[in-house]
Amino acid sequence: MKNFLKYLATKPLRLSIIVVLVAILSFILVSFSPLDPITAYLGYDRLQISQEQEQVIIERWGLDKSPPERFIAWTKNILQGDFGTSVIFNDPVTLVIGKRFAASFWLMFFAWTLSGILGFVLGAIAGTWRDSIADRIIRFYAYTLASTPTFWVAMILLVFFGVKLGWFPICCAGPLGVAPEQVSFADRLYHLALPVLTLSLVGTAQIILHTREKMIDFFQSNHAIYAMSCGEARFGTALFHGLRNILLPAITLQFASLGELFSGSVLAEMVFSYPGLGKATVDAGIRGDVPLLLGIVIFSTIFVVTGNLLADLIYRWVDPRIQIGEATG
Amino acid sequence: MIKKQYFFILLAVLTLSITMALPPGNATAKDSLVLALRGEPADGFDPLMGWGRYGNPMFYSTLLKYDNDLNITNDLATGYTTSGDGLLWTVTIRTDARFSDGKPVRAEDVAFTFNKAKTSGGKVDLSLLKKAVVVSSDTIKFHFDKPDSTFIHKLITLGIVPEHLYNQGYGRHPVGSGPFKLTSWVEGEQMSVEPNPYYYGQASPFKKITFLYGNEDTMFAAAKAGQLDMVVVPAHLGRQKIKGMHVKAVVSVDNRGLMFPVVKDEGKKTATGAPIGNDVAADIAIRKAVNMAIDRNKFVDGVLYGFGRPAYFVCDGLAWDNPANRIKDGDPEGARKLLEAAGWTDSDGDGIREKNGLKAEFTIVYPADRSVRQGLALASADMLRDIGLNVNVIGKSWDEIKGLRHSNVIVYGWGSHNPIELYQLYHSKFSGQGSSNAGFYKNPAVDGYLDKAVSSPSFEKSVKWWKLSQWDGKTGAGPRGDAPWAWLVNLDHVYFVSDKLDIGKSRVEPHGHGWPITANITEWKWVD
Repeated sequence: MKNFLKYLATKPLRLSIIVVLVAILSFILVSFSPLDPITAYLGYDRLQISQEQEQVIIERWGLDKSPPERFIAWTKNILQGDFGTSVIFNDPVTLVIGKRFAASFWLMFFAWTLSGILGFVLGAIAGTWRDSIADRIIRFYAYTLASTPTFWVAMILLVFFGVKLGWFPICCAGPLGVAPEQVSFADRLYHLALPVLTLSLVGTAQIILHTREKMIDFFQSNHAIYAMSCGEARFGTALFHGLRNILLPAITLQFASLGELFSGSVLAEMVFSYPGLGKATVDAGIRGDVPLLLGIVIFSTIFVVTGNLLADLIYRWVDPRIQIGEATG
Repeated sequence: MIKKQYFFILLAVLTLSITMALPPGNATAKDSLVLALRGEPADGFDPLMGWGRYGNPMFYSTLLKYDNDLNITNDLATGYTTSGDGLLWTVTIRTDARFSDGKPVRAEDVAFTFNKAKTSGGKVDLSLLKKAVVVSSDTIKFHFDKPDSTFIHKLITLGIVPEHLYNQGYGRHPVGSGPFKLTSWVEGEQMSVEPNPYYYGQASPFKKITFLYGNEDTMFAAAKAGQLDMVVVPAHLGRQKIKGMHVKAVVSVDNRGLMFPVVKDEGKKTATGAPIGNDVAADIAIRKAVNMAIDRNKFVDGVLYGFGRPAYFVCDGLAWDNPANRIKDGDPEGARKLLEAAGWTDSDGDGIREKNGLKAEFTIVYPADRSVRQGLALASADMLRDIGLNVNVIGKSWDEIKGLRHSNVIVYGWGSHNPIELYQLYHSKFSGQGSSNAGFYKNPAVDGYLDKAVSSPSFEKSVKWWKLSQWDGKTGAGPRGDAPWAWLVNLDHVYFVSDKLDIGKSRVEPHGHGWPITANITEWKWVD
């Protein structure tokens, strides 16, 4: 227990070191980017803008200072909790991220849970009855989906369920023309359906294949052979002995996939015009919005690291034999 | 058995939630619209940052405005005068206008708007304005150090903001004196507006208009599913059919053209290391031959699917366009003669002309992600091969083009309702400054005309000089003169509009496909 407390105490420290390193690295990368934010900002207004006006914009964004100067100023502000103002949204970075993440969160949450459960169950079935018809179908599905781009799946679902059948809305997080405060809970779910389905369909592939592999390994292990030689059926062996063996790797994988979930949601959000963090990230990247990009990088780092922390804690709960902190202590 | 029950309960819950969520049937009297016209301003509906430069500021009134034929008329202003030296503009305003919060629009708000926009660092360039001063409750004076005839476009495009509400974050809660007010905005998804009850002008018959900001393909799908009253589409989708909608192609000055580097390659480089000059394109005979040989109508049919018109200059058909720019094109025979006379002959019989050992070849660079420009570049190369010019075509990213634009032919697109564009494209003082005059074009006569145009005391007086800069009978920046560009086509902007929506007379649109069509939105009506 003492070790566990120590673990909990040192974790924030490590987390902050990771965040600092990621921040420095991304800042260096961004400052080497050949992208000129002024050109990106002006676009075809280029010819309406004089050199004098360009200078005013450069000063507003602080681009007249050198990169190290900018980094120091930025760090100082961050330490005071000020993430700066997004260049393209002209709004505080924390506000931009907060607003967008609120929309993305439920999308990612549902997709992640659904793909985790579905992938685990299907993978376990495929692994238990290896080379059966069910296994072949599941494997075929997994291989196909693993090699299919997310935006394509999104487009297909949209055309089929949205346009052809008209069962689901084509875009957005709420009905057209309704203020976000007035959107009912049922409506929110209804508009989430297709994006969640897209992300889950694509997300299950990996977890299916891994779980299947682990289940096959399990059936080759001594304790599986022993259980079956005692007269336990394949199903029973898998259910009572197999699952607990393959649960840990599945949890690891699922929490490690939080990062991918981020990138998957970018694509799904683009197709379904879902106003989440994904779209903001793309904008920040291609238009050289350094404060926003760094804000998102830090935010997603914290998000992923927290995910891994949760995985550690869940290990302890799933398998009490694991003593977190022992190894490091 | 128990499991089955659960299943049915779940099914019932799902069905219920879906039916509850389905949109209610259309009411008989249609008083709302759903439009997908792009144009979402990422930084908010803040005129001082540049909102409303294109088409319609929606929530704001401007001092002057265009009518549907692009004549300049009064909006908030009741009149304006300029001093003989152009250093002072005086505008009088109506006093009955109110912001959508009910507060009156005062002369102080107008002065505040201009003075604040000057220092805001957005896309509104007021660097020549010294200051705006209120002289009485309905009169504002604008002081300049140097005359600027293009200031009139700021009077037309800059929406007046209320001084008492303007602050950081205002762009997300806009309040203006225009025809509509914002009711909700979900960024990246949709915006809804309703009429401003205090608006002094013609009121829209629609109680609510919703603008969707989704991905292009998704919006097209939504239109096909019958959920939109209007959608903007790329030209290649204009040949598709959507039930209950018709195609509307709106003429624009959204042009595409070939920019030539007009100086010789003397090994010089820009400050950022980009090479300057191209020996072949520097020869005026080559540039004129290109202008003459290409068949612009074929581009319109072949590359633009018929949605466009030939372009001869950057401002075709606008008030400051010189009709002399309409040269005879699609004339390879004339082009060949011109090249022969200039000494470009095919002496070694390989089909490519040369002059003093220099092969007549150059490279056309287009931004790799733009399919129309790619099509134009390839089609031009084909046509020019026919007159003995060897043209290579490559696609590059915008950032790579920065290093190539002073020494290669680039496919650019411009087109604006503001003639300042001519000044930036053709004045030698912008040589090599960004993409403005990337070809280092320099003609003292043209510089003189452009300077006179910009420093004219009023817009009306400037028109003559803008026209002369293109062709004065001897020289000019147009295709009849030095031909530093070969303008190719003006795109039509293509929309699908509900058969029952009457959108009145659309204006010639600037660069920017989508939002500008809303310029006359208060005139739109539903016809059952």
